[in-house]
Amino acid sequence: MLLQTTITGLAIGGIYALMAVGYSLVFSVLNFSNFAHGSVIMLGAYAGYFVLTKAGASFPVALAGSMLAGVILGVTNERLAYRPLRVRNARPLYFMISAMGVAIFLENLVYATLGAHFYSYPEVLGRSIVRLGGASIGILDLFALAFSSVAITGLHFFLHNTKSGLAIRACSFDMTVASLFGVRIDRIVGLVFALAGALAGLSGIFLGMKYMAYPTMGWITNKAYVAAVIGGLGSLPGAVIGGIVLGLLETFVSVYISSIIRDVFSFSALVLVLLAMPNGLMGRYVEEKI
Amino acid sequence: MNDLSFKVDEGEILGLIGPNGAGKTTVFNLLTGFYRPTSGSMLFRGRELTGLAPPAIVGLGIARTFQNIRLFSNLTVLDNVRSVLYRHARYGFVQALLRSPQVRLCERRVHEMAMEYLEEVGLADRANDIASHLPYGLQRKLELARALALEPVLLLLDEPAAGMNPEESMSLVELIRDLRKKHNLTIILIEHHMDVVMSLSHRIVVMNFGEKLMEGSPEEVQSDVRVIEAYLGEEYAGAYRR
Amino acid sequence: MYIQGVLTVAMINIISTTGLAVFTGFTGLFSLGHAAFMAVGAYTSAILTYFVKAPYPVALLTGVLASSVLAVLVGYPTLRTRLRGDYFAIATIGMGEATRVILENLKITQGARGLPGISQYTTLPVAGAAAAIVLVLARNMLASVYGRNAVSVREDAVAAEMSGIHLLRTRMISLVFSAGCAGLAGGLYAHYLAFIQPVMFTMVQSTQITAAVVCGGTGSLTGPALAAFVFTVAPELLRAAQMWRLVIYGLMLVLIMVFRPQGLMGYRDLSWQGLCSLAARLRKGVRHAKG
Repeated sequence: MLLQTTITGLAIGGIYALMAVGYSLVFSVLNFSNFAHGSVIMLGAYAGYFVLTKAGASFPVALAGSMLAGVILGVTNERLAYRPLRVRNARPLYFMISAMGVAIFLENLVYATLGAHFYSYPEVLGRSIVRLGGASIGILDLFALAFSSVAITGLHFFLHNTKSGLAIRACSFDMTVASLFGVRIDRIVGLVFALAGALAGLSGIFLGMKYMAYPTMGWITNKAYVAAVIGGLGSLPGAVIGGIVLGLLETFVSVYISSIIRDVFSFSALVLVLLAMPNGLMGRYVEEKI
Repeated sequence: MNDLSFKVDEGEILGLIGPNGAGKTTVFNLLTGFYRPTSGSMLFRGRELTGLAPPAIVGLGIARTFQNIRLFSNLTVLDNVRSVLYRHARYGFVQALLRSPQVRLCERRVHEMAMEYLEEVGLADRANDIASHLPYGLQRKLELARALALEPVLLLLDEPAAGMNPEESMSLVELIRDLRKKHNLTIILIEHHMDVVMSLSHRIVVMNFGEKLMEGSPEEVQSDVRVIEAYLGEEYAGAYRR
Repeated sequence: MYIQGVLTVAMINIISTTGLAVFTGFTGLFSLGHAAFMAVGAYTSAILTYFVKAPYPVALLTGVLASSVLAVLVGYPTLRTRLRGDYFAIATIGMGEATRVILENLKITQGARGLPGISQYTTLPVAGAAAAIVLVLARNMLASVYGRNAVSVREDAVAAEMSGIHLLRTRMISLVFSAGCAGLAGGLYAHYLAFIQPVMFTMVQSTQITAAVVCGGTGSLTGPALAAFVFTVAPELLRAAQMWRLVIYGLMLVLIMVFRPQGLMGYRDLSWQGLCSLAARLRKGVRHAKG
């Protein structure tokens, strides 16, 4: 039972981590909470679903399709809704409102066009169950965990071993200084949104397979946001740790206490963590230049 | 920041100079409670400042201006100064909601006091302009007026003459001199305009790499080779300047 | 009757919007969960009049108090950091969820089925008077040390602290006022509809309040109040557009941020002098055009 719960918790935590990393990546560079990330995840789930069913494609193609959709959406979103604000150096509040607007727009656009219908994915990965020392794990959870780990490791590698990755890290440190050193900010910000979009597409297709695709599924991703804050906004390792901690916490609460009050627990965890550690578990101590 | 130690006497103007990145502004951020020192202590009139929050430090009588001007930019010139005078307000939340006579009285007093401070720096005729619409030099003066309105004992000025032409900076020197006399101020001044520092300061501390390079009268500092080296080093270090 | 109903709801929305205008427009902080404060106000007051038969004003004020307490609980840990308004915004998402879950599972709230049969105490005059009072109180607050400090914090948190302004205290006062307004609006709403359910207080509600504040102008009281009125009445006139309403709200938020971030009214407020001078300018313009 304990092992089973832990493994389920890890699988959920893996998806949370994947989503939280997308939030944190944007936050680390632009210093605002990109509430639209959840809608990109939602549309990624839809994209994956339609590629699978309407085009009858295989799982890898659908995966690529939803990631591509995420990239396109993320980049367009930045172009239209954030760049004009960035150019005139608007305050973070305005970015947040704009992001909120995008989220509301996309979610309700889907609602108004495709309806509130729940699209359930065909079973591409099968329903087989892997037994592991007394615990049984769904193949889907296993895949989710594997893909999340690969994606996050890949991102880490990209950020630390490529020139563009270095530029992103420079921007997250200080955008003005980075631009003085010849970093092309527009391009780097675009790249950040492309990366975040790809991660969103990936998490979207797995969320869709697990919970179906529907307009308000973006709000599940709010928990990923909570995870990012618990871990420390802007810190990628923090996002991963926050995601896993939250996944485990929720699963344990559901199993041992009550699944109804699971969300109340996650929320209380957020408040308690912030009370004890105002910058989250791994939050870098963000100091604005004064 | 490493092993830095200096003191300011009451009524003195202390110049703080050094190349960019020497840690001058960090000194101000430490003194005003925005950063926390990892070790050491800062005493102000015998009181330990370490661990106090900025508003508490302001309450003890320390005010500052900022290197990259921090005004309340969407507010008028008058409102910028008014905003710091509300610490004189002596009414509660309920009275505020009901706009009691005390509230109105306070409003009137705040208005009058704000106008006085604006007059002192010569901004009274711009009282109703939006702060961010002022030219750069006047924005610095407004920040100065706002700091003065806090009635500080110790005033920390972070590059008050930055971006000013020689004429403007000389009039600023006069203004700072007058204000110091009138308000009995002790001033720590960070400045890159050497003529401003040299003509205002009674004593100068030179910093480099977070450490004190030397300390002395303006004449002593000017003749010291190490200071020139520190600045030359900066020249060579290149264009990057914040 | 129907028109009266729409107007009553408009007045109630003006109250919650005014509250958020103080918090978002004047203090510069974002909330995604004002509906939760409304829910707490609604349920608290409804339970009091329904089960305890408490007098209506007492019930309303208790609702206001309950929302304020919730605001303190959520605000204190999240509003401390100097430059991170985000923490509070995210916490409010959680708060919204948690509030809904709790309301759906408590016995006294009768779960998801909701509370029917609440006395219909809220009439148009009651709601209108409440809206007027809230607007006046908000104006007074903004013209006092509390409002001035809030604006300083919005403009520049660092400079505000260096002006001796206590960041957390200032933000908390705005939040409590704002949540109190939402609680009052919730209470009035419950006693207008005579029936409340947890699903009434979700993101849709919060979104509408936010949209009204942003469109009306961050830094204005009359702008958001006007917008709240329009946003309540317009969809009633355009029934067909109901479904697209939120799509338009979302789009509007983005467009305003991109093109006119200060909102329609910007930092100004409607006043008699303002209206008169506008009228004068218009007349002059007309004469000018004729001549």
